[in-house]
Amino acid sequence: MAKIDLDKMLEKVKATQWSLADIDWDAPGAELITYEQWPKLKDFMADLMWIEHVGARAFAAMSRKAPTETLRQMYSYFHAEEQRHANAEMALMKRWGMLEGDVIPEPNVNLRLVIEWLDRYADDMPFYILGAVIPMLEIALDGALCTFLLETVADPVCHQAFERINDDESRHLGVGFTVMEMQGHNKTTIGIIKMIAPIVDPRLLLGIASYVPLLNKMRDNIMDMGLPEEKLYAAMRKFEKIGGRTADGRRNPWYQIIQTHGKFVVNRSNRFYHAPVDAAVKLTGLIPRRMLPAVPSWVKELTWQPTA
Amino acid sequence: MTDTKSSPAPSKLEKENPASVIIIGAGFAGLGMAIRLQQAGVTDIVILERANDVGGTWRDNQYPGAACDIPSNLYSYSFAPNPDWSRSFSGSGEILDYIHHLMKEFQLQRYVRCGKNVVDVIFDEKSALWKATTSEGEVFTGRAAVMAQGPLSNAGFPDIDGIEDFKGHKIHSARWDHDYDFRGKKVAVIGTGASAIQIIPELVKEVDHLTVFQRTPGWVMPRPDFETPDWNKKLFRKMPAAQAALRQVLFLAHESMALAVIWSSPLTRLAERLGRWHLRNQVKDKWLRRQLSPSYRIGCKRVLVSNEYYPALQRKNCKLITWPMYKISHKGIRTVEGVEHQFDCIVFATGFEVSNAGTPFPVKGLGGRLLDDEWSGGAQAYKSINVAGYPNLFFMFGPNSGPGHNSALVYMESQLDYAVKGIKKILDGDLRTLDVKPKAQTQHNNAIQKRLAKTNWNSGCMSWYLTADGFNATMYPGFATQYANQMKTFEEDDYMVVPAA
Ligand SMILES: Cc1cc2nc3c(=O)[nH]c(=O)nc-3n(C[C@H](O)[C@H](O)[C@H](O)COP(=O)(O)OP(=O)(O)OC[C@H]3O[C@@H](n4cnc5c(N)ncnc54)[C@H](O)[C@@H]3O)c2cc1C
Ligand SMILES: [Fe+2]
Repeated sequence: MAKIDLDKMLEKVKATQWSLADIDWDAPGAELITYEQWPKLKDFMADLMWIEHVGARAFAAMSRKAPTETLRQMYSYFHAEEQRHANAEMALMKRWGMLEGDVIPEPNVNLRLVIEWLDRYADDMPFYILGAVIPMLEIALDGALCTFLLETVADPVCHQAFERINDDESRHLGVGFTVMEMQGHNKTTIGIIKMIAPIVDPRLLLGIASYVPLLNKMRDNIMDMGLPEEKLYAAMRKFEKIGGRTADGRRNPWYQIIQTHGKFVVNRSNRFYHAPVDAAVKLTGLIPRRMLPAVPSWVKELTWQPTA
Repeated sequence: MTDTKSSPAPSKLEKENPASVIIIGAGFAGLGMAIRLQQAGVTDIVILERANDVGGTWRDNQYPGAACDIPSNLYSYSFAPNPDWSRSFSGSGEILDYIHHLMKEFQLQRYVRCGKNVVDVIFDEKSALWKATTSEGEVFTGRAAVMAQGPLSNAGFPDIDGIEDFKGHKIHSARWDHDYDFRGKKVAVIGTGASAIQIIPELVKEVDHLTVFQRTPGWVMPRPDFETPDWNKKLFRKMPAAQAALRQVLFLAHESMALAVIWSSPLTRLAERLGRWHLRNQVKDKWLRRQLSPSYRIGCKRVLVSNEYYPALQRKNCKLITWPMYKISHKGIRTVEGVEHQFDCIVFATGFEVSNAGTPFPVKGLGGRLLDDEWSGGAQAYKSINVAGYPNLFFMFGPNSGPGHNSALVYMESQLDYAVKGIKKILDGDLRTLDVKPKAQTQHNNAIQKRLAKTNWNSGCMSWYLTADGFNATMYPGFATQYANQMKTFEEDDYMVVPAA
């Protein structure tokens, strides 16, 4: 992945759009989902859909904070595109009979906490922090989950949808890594320290407290479905490799923070990390749903319907 | 709208004897010009108007809710006050009535030639006459010419693929279709600018469902609108001085807004707080509020005023969509979140084609020079009204004459009086040409652009005030009072004068 020209990329993004209506959701193939697959796939899809949606909200925050008009527009497109992925995944769930009535599946508690945090604080976070976390979420979760899905599900419509989703996703990553490098470019030590300073911001600590268990929780879910843990880790290592391919990228302190954390996640023998985090996952699992605040209204914009 | 750039029919026929003045456009500017000329003793006037009636903006913009957003007492001519304004901000129909009243009161009908769509304006050096050719090939000539074709008179459509493919009904806000029955319909409004925020509260009451497509949210201020009590109208009729005094107060109130709107000042912050308060007060949902929050400095684009807009958006049958649009299909609008939003009717409240880097039709001056070429990098003029190389030609709402904070007609009055002075010099002094010196024009523009650099308009947002390259050829960087002072004096030294042979 070479560094990309953002203006050209924006043109390309604008010129290559698609809609749910471009896919025939009633085409044959839904029967290829096996009886054993179905229940696990249902949970998996719900998680995936919510992660897309969380990514969408984060891009919305980045659009607000973007340092240039090009990036402002770019992220407002990415915001909508992630929403489209969530919508398309919901349409797949609908096709596979996984939506009870027409209701949106409930997000798991860890996702709920992340949604809550995003709603409250994402717009206040510095651009460069979101700019490092989002590629990680995209590459690790989106990337690993999607590949796995395509390996296990035979339904051609699913493949059709993900071909388009992955096209979008690869552009998101391209831009994401380019921006991460831009943020590290020409940074002096003082500049770098300034970039790290917000880590003591209690709002950010809350965010970390909801992001960290989410990763472990997703690891558990994925293993439940039969995805070898290694695949998730391989995806996370990709973040380390691509993000660190240039000196500018490596100079970005948030790249360093995120990738170091990634190493913790990957290293199962690191008990100091995993014991408390796994405990946190268990603990959050105990939070009764009714204690969680009402979902913000942006969540209600999700739809599986190609037309409105 | 009519294709103003098409070439004229081959057979040119001279319509009438040369007039003293030909005026293109019968809106506030063109008619005001005729009134002021008439009052100065010039009555040999021809006004060319492409539509079948006078009125310009207020003839075209008859959409539900159309109204001025400057108080009527200020949005009218001081030389023709109207004591009968029914509200502080009059509706479009009432403003059009006022224009028709001007027609009668000053007997302007005799000057107006309707159905004359001007397609080019050329200075004929042999006769030293301006020649305006219409799409029918008729030619009207005059010793002086006034460009009063309106800054916002050509409907503009958004740059989206597939507009032609839509099979439902399409309406542009500036060409309202009064025969279309909105009841029971699913309707889209594209745009959230000055026209849209007036249309939406009215339309939402009629349609089955309304979807509003927003690209950039604007600053919306509360609007102090009320009906004029009867005693008030009586007072104004008996004591015009009272109305003149109110006009002065309103004028000063709007002048003070310049401090908030034009430059970044503590007042800008105050105005932004008022805007944010208005939003918080009227919109409870946090996400909707976020969608409606402008991310640019107030004044960078036109400030909107409405008490009804935010409540309308929150009605059960209304929805705001902020996803980027990428295509119009035969059934509706496709947005990037993957949904095709289907409609019976799309209302384009997308404003106007603004020629801030060119002219709406060819204008040829001395030596065949083409104004479109000279302005391709951004329009420029001397005091907004004359352009070097185009003698005896006067521009209404020319480059850098735009008011951001005050009534357009206040600015217009100073332009009219300036043009009268110039035209009188040509006619009374029997001049062949009165042409501004290039140097005077350059000096004027250097000063203007220097001052513009410090304004909110040039603070980084995209708006129709700026050309694609960000050149501001539209707005006047200062108070209306400063503008009036600029226009008060006619510096003869800045002009080259050639007497008739
Ligand atoms: C919806 C709307 C609301 C507005 N509200 C306000 C407000 O509240 N306050 C304010 O100060 N300003 C407002 N304005 C700005 C408004 O345009 C001016 O105030 C003023 O009306 C302009 O007058 P005009 O005569 O210059 O142009 P117009 O009113 O546009 O008149 C131009 C005339 O020229 C004719 N014409 C154009 N091209 C040709 C041609 N080639 N040949 C022959 N004739 C031609 C047109 O048909 C038209 O009749 C508003 C504008 C719009 C569109
Ligand atoms: Fe995604």
